[in-house]
Amino acid sequence: MDPVSGLLHGFSVALQPQNLMWAFVGTFMGTAIGVLPGIGPALTIALLLPVTVYIEPTAAFIMFAGIFYGAMYGGSTTSILLNTPGESGSMMTALEGNRMARKGRGAAALCTAAIGSFVAGTIGTLLLTFLAPPIAELAFYFKPPDYFALMLLAFLSVSVVMGTSKVRGFISLFIGLSLGVIGIDKAGGMQRLTFGVPDLMDGVELTVVLVSLFAIGETLYVASRFGMQKPNLNPLAGGIWMTREDWKRSWKPWLRGTAFGFPIGALPAGGAEIPTFLSYTVERKLTSHPEEFGHGAIEGVAGPEAANNAAAAGVLVPLLTLGLPTSATAAILLAAFQNYGLQPGPNLFINSGDLVWGLIASLYVGNLMLLILNLPRAGVWVRLLFIPRPYLYAGILIFSLVGIWGVSNSWVDLAMMFGVGCLGYMMRVYDFPIAPVLIGLILGPMAEQQLRRALQAQQGDPMALVSTPLSATLMVIAALIVIVPAALHWRRTRKIVEPADAE
Amino acid sequence: MTERPWWIAAGTAGWGAIVLWKAAELPQFDQYAGIGPGMFPTIVGAVLVLLGLLLALQIHRGVRFEEQEAEDVAEDHSVSYGALVIAAVACALPMLTMKPLGFVVTCTGCFVLVAAAFKSRSHLLNAVIGLCFSLICWWLFRKLGVQLGGLLPIAGV
Repeated sequence: MDPVSGLLHGFSVALQPQNLMWAFVGTFMGTAIGVLPGIGPALTIALLLPVTVYIEPTAAFIMFAGIFYGAMYGGSTTSILLNTPGESGSMMTALEGNRMARKGRGAAALCTAAIGSFVAGTIGTLLLTFLAPPIAELAFYFKPPDYFALMLLAFLSVSVVMGTSKVRGFISLFIGLSLGVIGIDKAGGMQRLTFGVPDLMDGVELTVVLVSLFAIGETLYVASRFGMQKPNLNPLAGGIWMTREDWKRSWKPWLRGTAFGFPIGALPAGGAEIPTFLSYTVERKLTSHPEEFGHGAIEGVAGPEAANNAAAAGVLVPLLTLGLPTSATAAILLAAFQNYGLQPGPNLFINSGDLVWGLIASLYVGNLMLLILNLPRAGVWVRLLFIPRPYLYAGILIFSLVGIWGVSNSWVDLAMMFGVGCLGYMMRVYDFPIAPVLIGLILGPMAEQQLRRALQAQQGDPMALVSTPLSATLMVIAALIVIVPAALHWRRTRKIVEPADAE
Repeated sequence: MTERPWWIAAGTAGWGAIVLWKAAELPQFDQYAGIGPGMFPTIVGAVLVLLGLLLALQIHRGVRFEEQEAEDVAEDHSVSYGALVIAAVACALPMLTMKPLGFVVTCTGCFVLVAAAFKSRSHLLNAVIGLCFSLICWWLFRKLGVQLGGLLPIAGV
């Protein structure tokens, strides 16, 4: 199916009243969780996974997409009005956005963030519409060595890019990989690392690990260091909307932000942090009002917000076309696909055209809904922050129990919830990145499968892993990702040490 | 003074050793594929041991561990171990009570404990709110087809 007719077909699916309702539920929940602390899009989708038994796949994914996009709108609202970025991608928005709000220009900041998100989200979705089918087509020619190299690249870049320390990033990844090994080996039917526990034979549920790491870990961490500052709401002071000059200063950053966000989001381990940071830096360099930066420059809100949303669309490209998740949220979306017995990748576009195109079309619909939901009502959403924290976190624990107990009513899952929750606490205290655990857990078994297939085809010759041009190229890039930063670091530390020696 | 959390390095290497030990019981090689079911776990375990040693080296050199930022966290990151223990008990409680007492009672208990960890002192009110909230969740998610067990399994309901 070519993109245009696919998209038209998708709209016919997405615009059915029932699916519109799910899109609304998703965007509504997404905005709410974007505003609330302690709960993000990955966690929300994980908690909703048990419900998927009841909802048909297309409706479920339309809802998940709404949550995915909505969380980013909610995050920008709180960073501007309260200087509390709900998601990591909104940190840059908080810098300038909150200053603008303090100067009584909060409405304009919210406006440029919302419209910028809408523009970037729409352009990103357009790019997704036209790029995904050819990439999926290309993926038909991928052989096991190519997939294995691609996954290796994802592993390495996730561990190197996320977090502050490479060693800690790799420890996170390998903890995830080791958890992924648990269960019955798919190729040979042998039990691996089950320690004789029957409940572990099916392997470790991604939902359980994700919910424990995020919700339980966060609850323990915040409880032990709880210090609530009264939300310091900046009044919207008469609400001066965007002036003609604001528009003039905003549209270029929107487009530039999109240009950063989409491609970086589509790369393995791209994420939203790097493009938002890049966009902020570039806008600061290019602006004709450099004196305003640090005191509430509108470009500093428009660019990063656009980059943030474009990155979200970018993340969907490798997920839908190759089945390769590059963020925590994408990992849980992949798990949702697997729950339905669907395998994202080239075949998804052929076998489940309804679902894929319905999902893509609903992204356009969801974007529009979010604009309407957020633009006039931002002040109302912020009220959510006044929920008393004891009840908020207690409620999060109960939802977590629904998610974990609902999977299989297994005592082992409850024990894992406690154990992995403590691990999540420790990872926060000692600054280990969390996403690599999830990527390792979900991609590990897939990578092993591809590795064995690749070797099988060549009777176990390791050269099989670099037997195609693509796999060889990807392997070289993977090696560079590890070697280059290490070499740079080594040179830098040497430079610092040398003068010290000279004294 | 820099904190030296040796136990993390030991834990990482220790878990790696366990993975290695369990993987050693499996066949490493396979007639056709070259690598057998044990090979991948062996590699993972070996790398974990190696990473544990690397982390130990970093800790020896005095690497700094900065706590992650989160919302609602006190600015000086001062730690209340009492609250941590109460919250941990709340997370451990389901292991004891979920099977005999069921979802609703367990969740009510968790609700009160977490609220207490967040310095809420009106336990009775929290219990009532927790009970209502758990009941609503239990009823709603059951409607949605999620299996959450009986209302009070020990009484056979």
